[in-house]
Amino acid sequence: MKKTFIALTLLLTGFTLAFGQAKKPTLMVVPSDVWCSKNGYMMEFDNQGTKIKIPDYKKALQEDADLLLVISSINDMMAERGFPLKNMESALKTLASNAAEDNMRSSKETGASVAENPIDMLKKVAKADIIIQMTWTINKTGPKKSITFVLQGLDAYTDKQIAGANGTGAPSFSAETPVLLKEAVTAHIDNFTGSLQAHFEDMFANGREIIVRIQTWDDWDGDLESEYGDDDDELGTIIEDWLADNTVKGRFSTTDMTETMALFEQVRIDLYNAKGRAQDARRFVKGLSKYLKNEPFLIPNKVVMKGLGRATIILGGK
Amino acid sequence: MKRIINKATILTVIFIAFGLVSNAQLSKKRKAQKDTKAWRYEIECVGIGKAGTKVIKVWSYSKKAKVAVAQAKKNAVHGIMFQGYTGGGQGCTSQRPLINDPSIEQQKEEFFDNFFNINGGKYMKFVSHSSDATPTVMKVGKEYKIGIVVTVMTNLLRKDLEKAGVVKGLSSGF
Repeated sequence: MKKTFIALTLLLTGFTLAFGQAKKPTLMVVPSDVWCSKNGYMMEFDNQGTKIKIPDYKKALQEDADLLLVISSINDMMAERGFPLKNMESALKTLASNAAEDNMRSSKETGASVAENPIDMLKKVAKADIIIQMTWTINKTGPKKSITFVLQGLDAYTDKQIAGANGTGAPSFSAETPVLLKEAVTAHIDNFTGSLQAHFEDMFANGREIIVRIQTWDDWDGDLESEYGDDDDELGTIIEDWLADNTVKGRFSTTDMTETMALFEQVRIDLYNAKGRAQDARRFVKGLSKYLKNEPFLIPNKVVMKGLGRATIILGGK
Repeated sequence: MKRIINKATILTVIFIAFGLVSNAQLSKKRKAQKDTKAWRYEIECVGIGKAGTKVIKVWSYSKKAKVAVAQAKKNAVHGIMFQGYTGGGQGCTSQRPLINDPSIEQQKEEFFDNFFNINGGKYMKFVSHSSDATPTVMKVGKEYKIGIVVTVMTNLLRKDLEKAGVVKGLSSGF
């Protein structure tokens, strides 16, 4: 009896550990485009006559000691709250070393290289589910100096600002810039984590917010206006009905719908699926993919994912 | 015999004096506890402290100045937990309270009664004030309004509340 009880307890504990946790988003601190531009860390490209500027994060991280101080302070304070962040500098270094390793790697038997399509190449960037974008400006009035500090938590998939804190510190005659910066981080981090906490609480209560896109291959003979079933419902409407049945309280918005594409935003999905496993956008959309593959639709399709919060189904083939 | 009587008299007087002093202290504590029950106070930020701390000025009210001083620390911790503060001078930014849901105080009444107990409640661990700092005393009607600058260890306080299950940690649920 005692052994059975112990075994049951262990089983329950194991189940809780395995399935009781939602997928944890990754966070990374990134300097804003405004900061990079003001401090001369931009790269300029000529794109068919149009000049395009993009931030040069590598240069900024290699040359700006104040930036390192701020990133390190934010990382420390978030780690102290049990939420360690992805370090941008390390992520960039890992990408570079992985690329070098992949270039050198070949099969021992056939000499084949690692397969990589153009999309794989595009996806090789430092990424996180939530970007903590920061900006600071140094204000000078005569000999006095103060710092305006802005922290924004941006959802990488929905493009929404989910957390934020900003303000201007007390003017000082004598304090060095790093001291003022450290003070600014200390002053704002509690408010920032407070709003991030509110976002997570909303997510646990109302589900994770994701983006679902539907696209079609150009050689597919059907489209989103094709009619199915006894009621001759259009495929677009059928997909909307599936979303209404499978989202939390039927919450989603149809942002765009044409015969070749559909975009659904503010799609709220359960954090766990029917099996009790943690669920992200890909797992959720797999359900729709299966539904469309089966009778009466029999539409072959391909699921493409982007992190925890964005997934696309391309109809008409793999 | 006379010497023994004298000794006994002196001892009795000492015991009575000791009793009166401790009774007065107890009465002051009781008064402070009673006055704090209503949570009448105001807090304002007076500067950015070290990481994980908040430097605030807490204004407490009581008919006796000493009682107001005694309840200041309690009010400061309560304010950080349930009120937060708006920004101000000295680079202060507005601060959210550690507990977003005020009804928690009623839901976990026993926890907060123990936490804010004037006789060794846990709140004392999370607040300090310099004995050199001079309180600002104002007479408002029949009572005193006394302002004292205190430092609240917000990081330690938040961790303790997380441990007690009063608030959720940032990573809870993941």
